[in-house]
Amino acid sequence: MHVGWGHVALAGAWGALVSLERRAFLQAMFSRPLVAATGMGLLLGQLQTGLYLGMILELFYLGTASLGAALPENDTLAASGTTAAAAMMAAQTGGGGTPAIWSVCLLLFSGLGLLGRWVDRRMEAHAAGLSAHGLELAEHGELERAVRQNLWGIWPYALVYFVLNAVCAALGLWIGTYLSQVPLVVLRGLAWAFPAMASVAAAIAARGSHARNAALWGLVGGAAMTGAVLVMAWVDG
Amino acid sequence: MIGPGTHLPKSVELRVFLRSLLLQASWNPKGMQNLGLVYALYPALEVLYPDPERRREAVQRHLTFFNTHPYVAAAIVGGVLYHEERIAAGEEDPRRVNEFKGALMGPLAALGDGFFWLSLRPAAGALCAALVPWLGAWAAVLFLVLYNVVHFTLRAWLFRMGLQLGDRLVEAVARARLPTRGARLRAVAAASAGAAAAYLAFTFGSQQGGVGGWLLAGGCLALGALSYVLVARKVPTAVLTAMAALLAGCLGAWL
Repeated sequence: MHVGWGHVALAGAWGALVSLERRAFLQAMFSRPLVAATGMGLLLGQLQTGLYLGMILELFYLGTASLGAALPENDTLAASGTTAAAAMMAAQTGGGGTPAIWSVCLLLFSGLGLLGRWVDRRMEAHAAGLSAHGLELAEHGELERAVRQNLWGIWPYALVYFVLNAVCAALGLWIGTYLSQVPLVVLRGLAWAFPAMASVAAAIAARGSHARNAALWGLVGGAAMTGAVLVMAWVDG
Repeated sequence: MIGPGTHLPKSVELRVFLRSLLLQASWNPKGMQNLGLVYALYPALEVLYPDPERRREAVQRHLTFFNTHPYVAAAIVGGVLYHEERIAAGEEDPRRVNEFKGALMGPLAALGDGFFWLSLRPAAGALCAALVPWLGAWAAVLFLVLYNVVHFTLRAWLFRMGLQLGDRLVEAVARARLPTRGARLRAVAAASAGAAAAYLAFTFGSQQGGVGGWLLAGGCLALGALSYVLVARKVPTAVLTAMAALLAGCLGAWL
């Protein structure tokens, strides 16, 4: 599959859209890692990459929540940016997504959640200015303009997250050109690292579920799945 | 002109509800959702206060600090309309509406956080993440459907309760027993996370094949259990993830 700047722009546009949905509009959970990453993978022609990264990042960030004025890591940027990079990398290699590529991206782009939180804080400062301006306008009787200040908070988000996601996609494209030079033994190790990270993510998710007796429920789910897998293996011979 | 006993047109109520979906567009540390609230209410304030001076006063009283859960805010937005109709008709003191907001925003925020952020979302997320191997991209669609059927139904219901009941909406919300339902959903989230871990371990183990495959599957399950204990002991998740990747990576490269 040929990838280029059009795909980079597409990654930026999707990333901006889901980031807006996370904070400014609707909050119907298009911004959750499972949806944001799957959508990114689908748009960039690497659905499997989006699905598996979305799955693991959904588990990783399952228990995080914006409570009161507290600001958690930006799970949306973590999902959309990591998937954009992985999808571009996979497309660049021509072989599609592999656990090794997913591991590389999870490790290299693991700081995106923190970066997103830092950006969100800066945006809040901008919105505080809008609020103060809105108060001034209302004092002077310019009510329509005062009320519309609410909408001016949206555009910086869209712009910043467009750029960040596009940069991730471009980085993925660039790193992908060097992937063929990585020794096979390292790639095999990276392939093993993916399910290991998924196990850790699932443990974090079980803990983050806030359930009473979460360990017991996690064990029940794990045992049920193990039973199902063994039965299916036995049926298949 | 609004007089005693009259109500806002349905079209205006609908506009207010739809605009309340932008409640957090300019969330800020000082007023928090104040701009979003005024933005949502403005179509109603235009109808209720044809006099510019009274409208200005109404806008200013809602530009004060406001913060609650964005979904359950629908109940407060509806309740504010309930009170503003009465204030415009001269039946209530304007201070009443701010007392209403002040009294409800904290408790409703706690209720919304507990049910939506800490119960429904983790349950739907973990369940659908565990279903990815079977449903593929439809797992993401299922997640959106499961979550939003509850989300939008409750959001619309809360808005209607606020509009119809004003302060008495608290009784209606209490009858919904959201905390009890939330506890059940959290158990679903934990069980689904366990199932997802087991599935991934076996899938990647079988892809590897041979003794290495069994080692990988068993090792991942053990790693998951160990991680659970370490997360409970406040070991940073980033450190855990990196250590797990390093350990498995070294094993994978060596075997």
